[in-house]
Amino acid sequence: MRRTRTISITSTDRRTGGVLPLARRAAAVLVAVMSGFAAPSVRAATESEAGARAVIAETVDQVLAVLRDKSIPTEDRIHSLEQIVYGRFDLYVMSRLVLARNWKRFSEEQKKQYVEEFKRYLTNSYGSRIERYDQQEVNIIGTREEPRGDVVIQTKIVGGEFEGALVDYRLRKQDSEWRVIDVVIEGISMVSNYRDQFKSIVSSGGPELLLEKLREKNAAGMSIE
Amino acid sequence: MGARGDSAPRPRLVALALIAAALTAGVSCAHIDGDPDPSDPWERMNRGTFRFNEGADRWVIEPIAKGMDFVLPDPVERAIRKFYENSMIPVHFLNAILQFKPVTAIEDLARFVVNTTIGVAGFFDPATHFGLEAHHEDFGQTLGYWGVPPGPYLVLPLLGPSSPRDTVGLVADSASLVYPWFVTIYVSSSISVFRQLNRRSLAIDEIAAERQAALDYYVAVRNAYLNYRENLVNDRTVDEADEADEADEDDLYYID
Repeated sequence: MRRTRTISITSTDRRTGGVLPLARRAAAVLVAVMSGFAAPSVRAATESEAGARAVIAETVDQVLAVLRDKSIPTEDRIHSLEQIVYGRFDLYVMSRLVLARNWKRFSEEQKKQYVEEFKRYLTNSYGSRIERYDQQEVNIIGTREEPRGDVVIQTKIVGGEFEGALVDYRLRKQDSEWRVIDVVIEGISMVSNYRDQFKSIVSSGGPELLLEKLREKNAAGMSIE
Repeated sequence: MGARGDSAPRPRLVALALIAAALTAGVSCAHIDGDPDPSDPWERMNRGTFRFNEGADRWVIEPIAKGMDFVLPDPVERAIRKFYENSMIPVHFLNAILQFKPVTAIEDLARFVVNTTIGVAGFFDPATHFGLEAHHEDFGQTLGYWGVPPGPYLVLPLLGPSSPRDTVGLVADSASLVYPWFVTIYVSSSISVFRQLNRRSLAIDEIAAERQAALDYYVAVRNAYLNYRENLVNDRTVDEADEADEADEDDLYYID
């Protein structure tokens, strides 16, 4: 599937590798020797880790399938992605974590509006970029249970433009379901990044200013489509 | 300022940029809301420099990068990026040694040999397919490994986000590149300027999208830079998170 569409670079590399079996074997020996140095400690996954891992594995498969099916118009694919993501991400917890202590400054009505606007904001920010991610695979390379019960699933992107990038998903269990509450790309946490941006806005202009700015962005995002 | 080698533009340009940035920082009443971020005590000056860099990017760098993008297909630009990355491996190797990471150093060396030969001077990356993965150890990270704190966030004219530690690292890494010693400063500067333009060209869409989406682009970039660098110094894992990190984490994920 991937091979048919991969642009020249990777396929050329692979061909080059095939031409020189000796070099490949030498490299393999080298790798084998070195992995002896750094053998990772193997331990069984906990129940939580297994549960969260299954969620990520399934979501990744679904998302990649949508990204690669170019026969469907972009708009419909964005819509399918939204449906997948809304089901797997806990956008309520996420938007709440982004506000941190400022959450309490919002009235019930403002909270509701904010969660809705933030959801639209995220959708607009990422929806327009999907065309660039179709050539990659995602490997799950590790899982980690945090002291207070969250689970982090560590993944690595293979192939495509972001080859080698590390992406961690943090999941929290609620009502017996694991949902993503943060995405950390090469150490850059989505929650933390938005939190820093929103913090100064709320502290200077209160909840209303943040809501106003989000609405403004969302309106602009819609007109660009 | 080390004017040679990687990512160092022409000295005269740097001087000009410094003056311009100083002027911009002086006259712009950078409006800072709320509490200053503890990691960015120089926010006022930084915002001035950042604004200058954004202007330079919008009017000069991005248009050139777009021109490049029009002429060179993405696979070619990626091959050029690989070539540059390969040429930086000796520097990464040196830093891996300085951080007492023999496995990383050997892997870097093997990558360099494989990609320089089979990978045609580094334009291709067969090493990754042999299971030899890329590492990135620079002198800023080496200093971090030795326990030097990054210091306050610092935006450099034209070079962008940095810190005092990473600025020292940048200069040291530039000096430890070998080839600039054998060519004139104009050649080596042109080579690094071309490298940066090529990188910029590959990121046109990402940067445009990020600029458009961010509520505060300056803060978004600062947060990303600081966390990215910290993560690199910690070797991209949090397995050995110390107690301070745990406290940070509680702060990030549990708010009540």
